[in-house]
Amino acid sequence: MNCRSEVLEVSVEGRQVDEAILALLHTILLHRSTGKFHYKKEGTYSIGTVGTQDIDCDFIDFTFVRVSSEELDRAIRKAVGEFKEALSNSGSDGMGQISLEFYQKKKSRWPFSDECIPWEVWSIKVNVVNLANEQERQICREKVGEKLGEKVINIVEVINRHEYLPKMPTQSEVDNVFDTSLKDVQPYLYKITYQITDSLGTSVSTTVRRLIKDTLAL
Amino acid sequence: MLLGEIFELVQLVFVVAFTVFLANCVDYDILFANKLVNHTDSAKVTLPDAFLPVDVCSARIRDNVFVIFILVISGVFWLHRLVKFIYNICCYWEIRSFYINALKLSMADLPYFTWQEVQARIVEIQKEHQICIHKKELTELDIYHRILRFKNYMVAMINKSLLPIRSRLPFLGDVVFYTRGLKYNFELIFFWGPSSLFENEWSLKTEYKRGGSRLELADRLSSRILWIGIANLLLCPVILIWQILYAFFSYTEVIKREPGSLGARCWSLYGRFYLRHFNELDHELMSRLSKGYKASSKYMNCFMSPLLTVVAKNVVFFAGSILAVLIALTIYDEDVLAVEHVLTSITLLGVCITVCRSFIPDKHLVFCPEQLLKVILAHIHYMPDHWQGNAHRYETRDEFAQLFQYKAVFILEELLSPVITPFILIFCLRRKSLEIIDFFRNFTVEVVGVGDTCSFAQMDVRQHGHPAWMSAGRTEASIYQQAEDGKTELSLMHFAITNPRWQPPRESTTFISQLKEKVQREAACGQQGVLHENHILTSTQSESEPHSLIANLLAGPPPLGSLHLGRDASVSNHAVDVGLMEGTSALRSFSPLSGSQHLRGSFASTRLPRGDGAALVGGRAMAGSGADARTASSGSSAWEGQLNSMVLSEYASTEMSIHALYIHELHKQQSRGQLSRHTWHRRDSDESSEGAPDDNEGLRNFPRSNTFPCATTPHQEGAMLHNTGQRRYGGTTESVSGGLRSAPRLPRIPMGGWAEEAQAGRHHDPVPEEDELPPHIQKVT
Repeated sequence: MNCRSEVLEVSVEGRQVDEAILALLHTILLHRSTGKFHYKKEGTYSIGTVGTQDIDCDFIDFTFVRVSSEELDRAIRKAVGEFKEALSNSGSDGMGQISLEFYQKKKSRWPFSDECIPWEVWSIKVNVVNLANEQERQICREKVGEKLGEKVINIVEVINRHEYLPKMPTQSEVDNVFDTSLKDVQPYLYKITYQITDSLGTSVSTTVRRLIKDTLAL
Repeated sequence: MLLGEIFELVQLVFVVAFTVFLANCVDYDILFANKLVNHTDSAKVTLPDAFLPVDVCSARIRDNVFVIFILVISGVFWLHRLVKFIYNICCYWEIRSFYINALKLSMADLPYFTWQEVQARIVEIQKEHQICIHKKELTELDIYHRILRFKNYMVAMINKSLLPIRSRLPFLGDVVFYTRGLKYNFELIFFWGPSSLFENEWSLKTEYKRGGSRLELADRLSSRILWIGIANLLLCPVILIWQILYAFFSYTEVIKREPGSLGARCWSLYGRFYLRHFNELDHELMSRLSKGYKASSKYMNCFMSPLLTVVAKNVVFFAGSILAVLIALTIYDEDVLAVEHVLTSITLLGVCITVCRSFIPDKHLVFCPEQLLKVILAHIHYMPDHWQGNAHRYETRDEFAQLFQYKAVFILEELLSPVITPFILIFCLRRKSLEIIDFFRNFTVEVVGVGDTCSFAQMDVRQHGHPAWMSAGRTEASIYQQAEDGKTELSLMHFAITNPRWQPPRESTTFISQLKEKVQREAACGQQGVLHENHILTSTQSESEPHSLIANLLAGPPPLGSLHLGRDASVSNHAVDVGLMEGTSALRSFSPLSGSQHLRGSFASTRLPRGDGAALVGGRAMAGSGADARTASSGSSAWEGQLNSMVLSEYASTEMSIHALYIHELHKQQSRGQLSRHTWHRRDSDESSEGAPDDNEGLRNFPRSNTFPCATTPHQEGAMLHNTGQRRYGGTTESVSGGLRSAPRLPRIPMGGWAEEAQAGRHHDPVPEEDELPPHIQKVT
């Protein structure tokens, strides 16, 4: 519960799904990453540099900025690819939600595994529309480009609000807060999940999970 | 706590095993000496003789399907409790480590800390560790909201008479039925059951917050209530057997030892919800009700029925004479006890005599119901309007018995609960599902860092204040939104007094400071008047002019002298008055929590509330700062020595009592002032239940409190309950009773308090009663 949650909604055409989501996710991660920490002897550390690059979208009139880290890009693309597959396989009216969750790890005693406590969740609700002819697609390109621009400004406004961020950890605790597995950039620990919703607005897995939790709470 | 749960598990096993054993493995013929047992060594029958051999016993159990069935169900239930117990252990462990590591309170010190101190520490660590990331600082209200989220909802629902717990039975009259079983079911349906209204512990599901699909949601809720009702019905025999067994095992020993204890009274579950403030923790509520316990018992006991007394006395005489003979015979020769049924008759006669004795009132009891009721009000803070001035009537006493019931009645209700609950759920609650959905949608606000809470619990006078309860001109609430019986205002005062460091929002601040100012001003004037006129303690309420209000209240009931904080309650007027005055001056010096201003009970300084004084007090109450430029005295050590939080909380409760009494007095005066307007208005209402003018007492004509139908003539009662009891929300008669209350107010409060026409636009869902009101009012005016 102690977790900020932001919701973004986009309405795109089938081909634009990949790029729209990539754009938004990369924008968020750009602001939630730092350079790698290099620890020196006395417990101080220096932060490595992070490069940025502009990426143009092929199917949308939009350009976004992301950290120039191939590994990060690969990881995000993989997640988005899975989401897109699930969305196209679902056969429903093309509504899905992909969430980027930043969390902190808390060490727990045996036999419980480590707990992941989220502190910020960005949910992107995606609505896929099907367009008939080329002219509509052209209009859609521009409109989606504008919309994405607004969303990016939204994201930056939210991030600028200077709200809670996890405290800078000591060397031993770095792994609880940051993702140190990448070579050139160090984002906060994140997790990408998605769910395809059916028309009732709930998904089967969440209902089952909630049922189990409820009976336990009884 | 842990130990209690372990013992509960053990109790469960014990009850089941013991009952099965008694039912199947005991040969009662041997026990009752109907069959002879062959003994080689002695002639005595021992207990193990009555036990059947193990193989016979287990064969009997295995053959009996019913017993197997019961065993299986109990086994499943026990396992479920065990799992819950283990889960609870983990929670308790986390709580414990939170206290030790974060709050820095060791377990050894914990019993000596008050809740206020723990709360203060939580607020401190929020600043340091940011345990809640949404806001920088946690206030006390946030903490209370997190703890009491669901309880506030229940209090609000009972306040607005939304739950079907009242009904009218043919012979018993007006009956309130609210048991633990019913409460459990309500909470299951609304808060935490499967597919309840709440998504998780802190937020309502989003579809319930929007008005779009309310009919569909109401249908869903209705069918869910039906399923839960049917489940209750199916499990009813099992639960019933369990309740009977449990009651039998718990209370038989008490009945044998001390039969009078069942005649003692306790606060009923309904009473606890009716009298609970918003944002009041359990321990605060219990301490308040326990303080009022003695006065309430006295009040209930001082009603005696002469007929019953005479009958009881004679029964005691006859039973006692038989008992005396039996006892005398037994003393003479104890073999009398071996005769069949002698011990039984002795026990039964003893129980009978004790029960009858409880109907014979104490010879030295004084009948002063009004004053007792005043003292009770000082502690419980809530009381329907029509009780004031009618304390001596049986109807008032019967209604009070709904709040404060016999323990025997409580046990009986718990026994009947498994049978009645399914019917209440299926037939009464389902009809209200639409209203419930509307309630949750209209009265849920999302507070940052806390989640969804009941909007009544915000204690916002503007949103939920009641014009007849000191919020005249300050409230924008319609009848639908007002909290009844002054709950908003009283809860706000209570919270502000128990948590002096809390910073209320601006309008509430002005409300609180104005009220405190008024009380102190009245107290000062009243005491001056009291001392100069040498007011006798038994002053009546009838001539309460505004400035002798507090004088009457303070000087009135003798037990109120206990208000002066533990000093000796000497009976003489002067001493009591001085004590009271010192008490109130002590309160005045304590409300800003500074304690550095000590008035030493001098008369001159009781003239304190000049403009700056009151403002200073009010300001300091809000700012909570200790620095005070007007430190009158050098801080006598007697006062400072008592300045620890225990004493502070006692002062707080006394202060709250005085404020509550004052608010009630103001409300009574306000409603009396509108008495004259009622008679001409009443002729216009066609089918109004309050329509028949009551010629007996003019006092009856003022507005009834919404949550208490009064026991007046049967016609009124029946009509009122039929029309407004069950359907207080929906239905057109709400307009009538609402109109009754609104029209008199309208001339006095032309704006702000009662803009129904403006309000009608606010409710986007068609609420028929509200739309009907404006023409009604205009016709009357």
